[in-house]
Amino acid sequence: MLGPKAYRGQQDSQLVALVAEGDAAALEALYDRYGKAAYSLALRVLAVGTLAEEVVREVFLSLWRDARRFDPSRGTVGTYLLSMTHHSSVDVVRLQENPRRRQGPEEALALAIEPPADVEEEFEPSGRRGRVRAALAELPEAQREALMLAYFGGYTQREIASLVGIPLETVRTRMAAGMRRLKDELREAGRQEQFPWTRR
Amino acid sequence: MDSPVNHSDYEELAAGFALGALEPDEEQAFQGHLEGCPACKASVREFEEVTASLALATVRVQPPASLRAAVRSRTGLTLRRRAARTIRSWRGTRTTVRAVAVAGVLAVLALSLWNLALRDQHQIDQARVAALQEAVRVVNDGTANRVALTGSAADSGARATVLASSLQDRGVLVVEGLPPPPPGRVYELWAVPAGGASNPAKAIAFRFSDRQGVHAVRFSVNIQPTTGFAITEEPGPGGSRSPTTEPVLAGNPQQSRPGGA
Repeated sequence: MLGPKAYRGQQDSQLVALVAEGDAAALEALYDRYGKAAYSLALRVLAVGTLAEEVVREVFLSLWRDARRFDPSRGTVGTYLLSMTHHSSVDVVRLQENPRRRQGPEEALALAIEPPADVEEEFEPSGRRGRVRAALAELPEAQREALMLAYFGGYTQREIASLVGIPLETVRTRMAAGMRRLKDELREAGRQEQFPWTRR
Repeated sequence: MDSPVNHSDYEELAAGFALGALEPDEEQAFQGHLEGCPACKASVREFEEVTASLALATVRVQPPASLRAAVRSRTGLTLRRRAARTIRSWRGTRTTVRAVAVAGVLAVLALSLWNLALRDQHQIDQARVAALQEAVRVVNDGTANRVALTGSAADSGARATVLASSLQDRGVLVVEGLPPPPPGRVYELWAVPAGGASNPAKAIAFRFSDRQGVHAVRFSVNIQPTTGFAITEEPGPGGSRSPTTEPVLAGNPQQSRPGGA
């Protein structure tokens, strides 16, 4: 059987097709590509390593079980893995028995995207992480706040409205505007390079 | 929330949807809308690419080797027994057990949330919310088990997970993709005592008219920490007092138990 390294040249969609045929090494190749990002995201939201492991493991295994039913018109498999990881993590956070375990807004807003001072982040040749951070930094503060509270803090729009003391409609508007602006900026900055191994 | 009356209301929800920031009822309404709206589907697809970028912008943390091992062992790449070490090490607070069990429930539903074209999204969302709410209630004691069921029906695409509380003698079955039984017949969930496979207790009889939906079935039955579960097909409408057929799905807590011994 080929090891995961043999799959390096394959596009994500080809790997999904192989997983659908029961090729476990293809799933491992997808784990090589997205496992670290998924785990980092889950850990950022959940703050507990064992929970993050559980969520990420189950997301990959959901693909293993059901790859035949994967709908590519909904999005790429990379987006699926990260979206489902985020979705599951946020749901788990919201059902925590002890609400104080959930991170407060300061933590959610705290540079989730900058490494702590004592951590040297690995060099990333494509620079896309830097581009996303730059794009986020360029958002108006109110929009960035809404996005970060939601995405990293797992707060709903209603909770943010209550937290910040603004109408729900204002939260919706800020979120929509912030996302549209990020979309445009990332497109400008070469969004297509996010997943360098995916040729569209 | 009030139902959006203008399409622009839905457009505004798309960003919140991609960020996971909608309330459950809003999310249900939006997903219901999504299936029939190519424009919103395209918006969601674009916004999810943006959120994927946010994910990629986080500080990268190397996952522990146990995570890769857990994925590999479940796919059967190795002949070794699954590393129960990792699962056993998760002794601890109620919150941890609950969240772990909930994550398991979500995993059952993950692709249902993704594939819009296949099924009634509203029903899925309702089932998901109900299953999560029940999961939270059932797992309140810290001794609850999550039991994954496998078997012949799984080969045809059925998925089932039982969350069982031995403290409360109650549980919830989350099941998806099980074909409807023949007319006049039902499925039945059994609680199987450890070492007592010949003496299962009836948990509940159920039947659904659609194969494609996700269903959460609540039940009450005597449950021990070692109790397994099985689903058989039985005569309707109320099922049998003892199983009359071989299980289509079955599982034991030793294989998938999140709590400590």
